[in-house]
Amino acid sequence: MSALPGTGRRRFIAIGFRVGTYLALSLIMGPVIWLVTGIISRAVPHFSWSVLTHPTAGESGGLENAIIGTLLLMLGVLVIAGGIGILAGLHLAEFAKPRKSGKESGHLLRTASDVLSGFPSIVLGYVGYVALVLGLHWNFSLLAAWIILSIMVIPYIAKSTETALRQVPTAYREGAEALGMPAGYALRKVTLKTALPGIVTGLLIALAIACGETAPLIYTAGAFADSPVSVSLTHHPVPYLTFLVYGFYTLPENASHYLAYDAGLILVVLVLLLLVSARLIVNRTQHYSEGRR
Amino acid sequence: MMAQVMRRARSARRITDSLRLREGALWQGAARIAVVLPLAALVFAVTILVIKARPAIIVNGWGFLTRSKFDLGQSYATTVNHIHGVAVPVGASYGAGALIAGTLESSAIAVIIAVPISIGAAFALTERMPRWVSQPLGFFVELLAGVPSVLFGLWGILTLGPFLATHIYPTIANNVPNVPVLDFFRGSSGHGEGLITTGLVLALMIVPIITATTRDLFSQVPALPKEGGEALGMTDWEVARRVTLPWVRTGIIGATVLGLGRAIGETIAVAMVSGSLLASVAPNVYGTFGTLAAAIVTQLDSASTDGTGFAVSTLAELGLILAIISVGVNLLARLVISRSSRLGAPVGRA
Amino acid sequence: MTGSTRLARLIVALTATLAVGVAGSLAVATAAGAKAKAKAPKGAVEKPSAGTVTETGSSLMYPLFNLWAGGYSTKYSSVTVSTASTGSGTGLADAANGTVAIGASDAYLAPSALTTTPTLLNIPLAISSQLAAYNIPGVTAHLVLSGKVLSSIYQGKITTWNDAAIASLNPSVTLPSIPIVTLHRADGSGDTFLWSTFLSDADPSGWGKTIGFNTTISWPNAPGALGETGNSGMLAGCKATTGCIAYIGISYLTQALQAGLGYAALVNGKGQTVLPTPKSIATEAAGFTRKTPPNGTISMIYGKIKGGYPIVNYEYAIVNSSQTSSSTAQDIRSLLEWIVNAKDGNSPSILNQVNFQALPASIVTASLKQIKTIQ
Repeated sequence: MSALPGTGRRRFIAIGFRVGTYLALSLIMGPVIWLVTGIISRAVPHFSWSVLTHPTAGESGGLENAIIGTLLLMLGVLVIAGGIGILAGLHLAEFAKPRKSGKESGHLLRTASDVLSGFPSIVLGYVGYVALVLGLHWNFSLLAAWIILSIMVIPYIAKSTETALRQVPTAYREGAEALGMPAGYALRKVTLKTALPGIVTGLLIALAIACGETAPLIYTAGAFADSPVSVSLTHHPVPYLTFLVYGFYTLPENASHYLAYDAGLILVVLVLLLLVSARLIVNRTQHYSEGRR
Repeated sequence: MMAQVMRRARSARRITDSLRLREGALWQGAARIAVVLPLAALVFAVTILVIKARPAIIVNGWGFLTRSKFDLGQSYATTVNHIHGVAVPVGASYGAGALIAGTLESSAIAVIIAVPISIGAAFALTERMPRWVSQPLGFFVELLAGVPSVLFGLWGILTLGPFLATHIYPTIANNVPNVPVLDFFRGSSGHGEGLITTGLVLALMIVPIITATTRDLFSQVPALPKEGGEALGMTDWEVARRVTLPWVRTGIIGATVLGLGRAIGETIAVAMVSGSLLASVAPNVYGTFGTLAAAIVTQLDSASTDGTGFAVSTLAELGLILAIISVGVNLLARLVISRSSRLGAPVGRA
Repeated sequence: MTGSTRLARLIVALTATLAVGVAGSLAVATAAGAKAKAKAPKGAVEKPSAGTVTETGSSLMYPLFNLWAGGYSTKYSSVTVSTASTGSGTGLADAANGTVAIGASDAYLAPSALTTTPTLLNIPLAISSQLAAYNIPGVTAHLVLSGKVLSSIYQGKITTWNDAAIASLNPSVTLPSIPIVTLHRADGSGDTFLWSTFLSDADPSGWGKTIGFNTTISWPNAPGALGETGNSGMLAGCKATTGCIAYIGISYLTQALQAGLGYAALVNGKGQTVLPTPKSIATEAAGFTRKTPPNGTISMIYGKIKGGYPIVNYEYAIVNSSQTSSSTAQDIRSLLEWIVNAKDGNSPSILNQVNFQALPASIVTASLKQIKTIQ
């Protein structure tokens, strides 16, 4: 800590500043703790393990179908958005050749990706509803939800992949070339492998975003809490946890409220798992990489 | 026999060798296709929006942006009007004025509350805190970014709103000095839904993004001027004020605008806490109102009761306005941040 | 290949074709026969195939539809009925779009919807009603309210409970001078449809002319007006707001009373003051039974019926008579037939739980006729 001036106004301001910053921090921590404990305290008294094994039936029941539905949605996003996002990030980091003018190429594509990440989620939901659910007559369906969620999340994955790839030291790539590795082989075995933790972190965060979305899903996956899970890609609505929170807290039965809180609890646990894993991966790679503190 | 085996092995290896040589091209080709997809998706979304919104834009005109109305019209009338060739129910009239005002008001309140808190917290996390404290706390703030927005809405309507409405708001409303300008802070607080509760919930939601960006910016400030300031006996506050903040000023503006963009696009939490009105501006700071995003999410599924399709078209127009505002704000933010980061070419950093 | 091998192969091929042909037509015949057998005698419930029937819409009908879904699935476990409470507007829209099998709605179809999708049906399933609920501390008796007074309240012309207009209808009640907070539905709602129809019929030159009726209307600016989602939102909002007035479906009567809300006796088309009792609701419905057309489209609100409660309606299932899959059509028919059957879905043991009334016999016949057209 810097030494405080002995007297007067400067000392007062210096202390005030320090107190102010800690106050600001507590103004964030406080409500977060309040929120999480609020959800937990409402959910836990009425939670029983049967909630995980029974599907929703009408106004009460369990959350089994919603949990499976959420996981199914996340799986599709992982495959579709993960695949496309990683490849897109790969292009932006490795293959976008600098133009003759010296400026970096891929500017249009990167800007498009940025614009997409700022696109309001409900408007994407609207587009999905109008074009896929109604226009292509898929009705509320898994495929429509997968497509819209992936569109939302691809910019994040592309950006984190690009960042991760750019952090791979040039020495690695030069070494691979010096050893005579073919370009694609070097890409796979050296560059991607080194960037993998960063890429995986990006994927986990994207999954956390996807499982917490509600608005676009209401209009692509449907608004049915007690829909059974089906693997058919179209013509079958998908149940998911966030709708249970949104739709059930307004229902009159107390049993419905308990389900809403339980769904909130499971969501918190899910997001926690994803983000903690992401953070652990980052910590481990910093631990083992060069320049370790 | 041996010759056949050798021949087969050689041709197999030739195949894998050539595949391995081609692999680079495969990756490159796949990557090239993948990177175009976001652009394609964007073009697709905007095209659909514009096509769907066109009838509404033609009929609603420029007054749409200032009028405040959400009248589906007489769906139960037997005739239908035709305005400029577009089928419109009798009496249908729409205006997004109140929704645009509500969106901007609630986001502005969120930003005003969130920015000082985020900057203060970023200072607390980066300066002078032992690592074993700042790392978990920093992670905590990141965790906040992952909490689903429904849960924010749920907390707002079940816990925060009622608490504030019973304890805090009446105190404020009753003790505000009797100056006309402050009339905005006077009013009945209902049971918690309203402008300021929404602003508070939104503020909490955008704090992580502003804090994270600010922390990154702080880490880019070169150590030399800061340590020099300390050597001269400046306090933390003076270093912050005279070295750090000027250095990251543009970046913080960018971070603020980024948070603003997030608040503008927020849908579910606002729908739950704002009262979801469609055509009224909040009369005072505790009043209920509506935003563009909340209007779309609550009205889309029943808009199809309008058999002419005009209501769905108007919602597309709302979506278009929201997208333009949101994307515009987002692009502005990134422009500002990228400019400031490049300016941060450090002196004296290895 | 030798000549005998060729001949043998030809004979085998012909026999195989014949066998397949016979087997195929036998299968078709038995299937048709089964379908013919499945067409049950009049009044009985058709057997369903397996599948899911999706229902969404009216929050007023939601508690009842859940009871129906439960009762039906216990008898026919091959069908899953999935329900949702999203408001009649969504029920109407989704049924028209085809994104849901059955849309539940308190409101009948609009002409514009029928123009776009002529194959839509609105099938009456039960008779329901609506309360004018309020939260006025100290007032325990049933207030008397008229449509004209309610219209003025919702337009913001009457702002306190002790207004002269209300007091003149309730001379024996001491009304406090607290402000009236009007609650309305923010989502596309059949309850809004019923309420606004009532206000339009009772105040034709005022509300009827300027605002009209619909599932979503442009609410006038009454001071402190609140928008709520769903009937339960109205209930919770009214419970939490002193001085509130709200329109709530009768299926939430028990909860409203538990929440400490009161409900009004309304002035009907004959000028009488009537409370929503099973008798008054049935009386109003009976007065309209003969006037109900075969397609079920009629408003039973504010009828000039002696002893009838003025806000009474049919609860409709909005269904597209041309379904994409015949097995779904079969499941829908089966479910709906079970619902309108006086011994199954329309039995008092189920309907009494939500304070609904059963359909009169002639309406049941009309509904069954409509149900049969779903293919």
